[in-house]
Amino acid sequence: MFQLQHFLYLGALLFSVGLIIIITKRNAIMVLLGIELMLNASNLNLVAFNQINPATIDGQFFSLFVIIVAVCEAAVGLALVLRVYHEHKTSVPDELHELKE
Amino acid sequence: MTVLNFIFYFLEAVAALSAISIIFIRNVFYGALLLITCLLALAGIYVLAFAEFIAVTQILIYAGGILVIIIFGIMLTSKISGKSLMVEHTNLFSGVLAGLTFLGLLLYFISSQKFNPFSTAKPTPEKSIQAFGTGLMTDFILPFEIAGLLLLVALIGAAVVASSIKSKNS
Amino acid sequence: MEGIQPYQSSTVELLLLIALLLPLLSFIISFSISERYSWMVPFLATLLLLTSVASSVYVFISVWKHEPLVIQLQWFSIADFKFTVGILMNSLSALMLIVVTGISFLVHLYSTGYMVGDASIRRYFAMLGFFTFSMLGIVLADNLLMIFIFWELVGFSSYMLIGHWKEKVEASSAATKAFLINRVGDVGFLIGLMIVWTNQNSFNILELSSSTEIFSWQTAASLCIFCGVMGKSAQFPLLTWLPDAMEGPTPVSALIHAATMVAAGVFLLARIHFVFTLDALDIVIIIGSITTLIGALAALVQHDIKKILAYSTISQLGLMVMAIGAGSPEAAMLHLFTHAFFKAGLFLAAGSIIHSLHEAQHKAHEHFDVQDVRNLGGLRKKLPFTFIAFILCGSALAGLPFFTGFLSKDAILTAIQHWVGGEFSWKWFMLAIAFIVSFITVLYTFRMMWSVFMGEEKRTTTLPVEEPPLVMRIPLAILGFASLWLVVGINPFDYSGWLYSGLHAGKYFQLSLMPLISALWVVLALVAGYLLRKKEIQSSLLFNTFYLDRIYNTLFVKSTLQFAALTNYIDKKWIDGFIHSTVYTQVILAHFTNWFDRIIIDGSVNGVAGLAKGVGSITRSFQNGKIQLYIFWAIFAIIIFLIWLII
Repeated sequence: MFQLQHFLYLGALLFSVGLIIIITKRNAIMVLLGIELMLNASNLNLVAFNQINPATIDGQFFSLFVIIVAVCEAAVGLALVLRVYHEHKTSVPDELHELKE
Repeated sequence: MTVLNFIFYFLEAVAALSAISIIFIRNVFYGALLLITCLLALAGIYVLAFAEFIAVTQILIYAGGILVIIIFGIMLTSKISGKSLMVEHTNLFSGVLAGLTFLGLLLYFISSQKFNPFSTAKPTPEKSIQAFGTGLMTDFILPFEIAGLLLLVALIGAAVVASSIKSKNS
Repeated sequence: MEGIQPYQSSTVELLLLIALLLPLLSFIISFSISERYSWMVPFLATLLLLTSVASSVYVFISVWKHEPLVIQLQWFSIADFKFTVGILMNSLSALMLIVVTGISFLVHLYSTGYMVGDASIRRYFAMLGFFTFSMLGIVLADNLLMIFIFWELVGFSSYMLIGHWKEKVEASSAATKAFLINRVGDVGFLIGLMIVWTNQNSFNILELSSSTEIFSWQTAASLCIFCGVMGKSAQFPLLTWLPDAMEGPTPVSALIHAATMVAAGVFLLARIHFVFTLDALDIVIIIGSITTLIGALAALVQHDIKKILAYSTISQLGLMVMAIGAGSPEAAMLHLFTHAFFKAGLFLAAGSIIHSLHEAQHKAHEHFDVQDVRNLGGLRKKLPFTFIAFILCGSALAGLPFFTGFLSKDAILTAIQHWVGGEFSWKWFMLAIAFIVSFITVLYTFRMMWSVFMGEEKRTTTLPVEEPPLVMRIPLAILGFASLWLVVGINPFDYSGWLYSGLHAGKYFQLSLMPLISALWVVLALVAGYLLRKKEIQSSLLFNTFYLDRIYNTLFVKSTLQFAALTNYIDKKWIDGFIHSTVYTQVILAHFTNWFDRIIIDGSVNGVAGLAKGVGSITRSFQNGKIQLYIFWAIFAIIIFLIWLII
């Protein structure tokens, strides 16, 4: 019904916005938000390409599993953020530089 | 401009705008809320793309689950002083530049592809949920099982990682 | 060339060397003897000199009227030119040997009494010995170079002796003046030596005397050598040092400035008179006449005993030089011989007056200038011995008959008369001057004697004056006897006794009216002196020797000192300034290089290090542990990859 490019443009926009959020925000939770956004953008792409042959609902299956993985990752990520916050009393990723050379 | 088109573009605009405004909003909590908006708009777009199951799954899990625990995380990691958590920016210039370059590249790639116009709309099969279940158990049994395993591991891991906090406290 | 005479050559040589070297030994011993034994020094020195006199008498007897004795040794050589040291001993130098050693011995003997109690007595006797040695060196040397070397040594020892009492400023400045004026003369001497060498290629006197033709520049050479004589023998214009040299002890004046050193010039003239051309001899006699006139006139107005004697020495030296100029070195040597004895006697007599009066002053605690004749008078009663000695030597000086001075002056006058010839020319003035000078000589000698010994006592009435000790009287007696005519010859009126004919066998002037004329002339002068005895002669012109000193001071001394100050200024300002500026430049350059090294070189090294550090830190910043930067760089790499895909 709608042109495929529109879905893809939106997906690209969301992906790059998520990228920007990851790189520029000084809060670990915001980084997680950015990651979620990027995952959603890839979901959108998958759903968009599903429209080519809606009978075989491959795209939907794929995006289902993406959502599952996203859930796992968000849970573990949050647990880590909480742990790190407990250890270093900060949620700013810039201040976690013990791996600095 | 039909009503569907309008709704579609409206939902796209909402998603885009809310995503973009996350960059500018300093408050983390507002950012989470904006993300909810964006996800809901995306769900709407999924519906218009004949992917109802995903749309509902999105609302249920993403907006209802993940964002809620994200808000939990926000609350737990903010210093309890009554002030809401403000974030600053780091690497703003380079980040925005990289992002815009990436966007540009993606747009370029997308626009240089020729997509066949859709074949006249073949609607999704009427019993899509049933097709879903059947597919999960037959074609996609392996990813299904692995996904279940992954969920189990993630659950245990998150529990372990987060629970040591308590033991340390006490 | 070894000795070529047929008699015992080796003994004579040995004794000659003994006579020459004993004074040197005395010098060495006196210098090196320690303080404790310094009382021994006078006796030791005198004894050595006595031995030296004995040896020289033997040598004299052997060499007189025989072949000359020549000893030569190789000294050094430059390219093909060989320089030798050697001894030429002919009758002339044998005579001088006697004079020098004899008077030196008498002065040594006298000094043992005169210089008793002096603080630097060792230095005194050492320098006396050294002086004798140097003088003998001049007398015996056989080449001009050696004569020049010993000439300088004599000048040096006279400097040391005149300035013996170095605490007195006048003494040291007088010594310096003597030395410097001698040096001025020696410059001419050296130039003369150079001219002689250039033309004859030899310094040896025998070789020079054998060349008969006149070489080029001979007049100039002889006049240059005469410059040295002018300095040493106090001829005009280099005569101002001799009166000032009276600051030294009186025995020194007797030895140096009466008998020996000033005679060295005349001796040199006699030694090498064959070098002098007739034109040079004319100039010589003119200068001699000026000198003798100045000396005589100045002696007339002096009132210091020693200064009178000094000016009289100048005058008599002028007479000797006139004799050389008149072509008769024999007459000059005769007068030198006699003058040595009677002038030394006069000086020693004056010294005994001074010594006795000083002793008396110490006892009576009075102080007045004993050398001023205006303070003295009537001393014949208190110092009879000295009075007689003074009369003997003074009569010889004045040229009274029956004394040696008469004979030698006669010889000179005869020589000049012979030189003058018959026609009237400017040469007559020379003869006239000689006569005038002999007149004035009598005048001042008489005046001196009268004011010191005759008349009434002036300042010395209350002083207990005694005769000087025996050691001082013996030399006076010997010298007084030496002033009698017997020394020269049997006949008191004929000067060509054994001495004169020994010097030159050929020339014998006919017995002429000259002795009679001069005898009458002297008696006339004696009468005039007696008549004028009370008259005071005042003349500041003559007193200051025609202001020669002042002229020299303004002309030469001041300009030399200014020149010295100018060169000092130049040296300090410019040369030192130049060196300082090079030093400053060096320091500035050093600072600059330091800055350069620090800033630029070190800076570039540091800059390279800083560059490496910066690049390192930049590349290190990729791994600063910030997650978001890692993500950024990953995206960056992907973008690059994608762009590469496009391109």
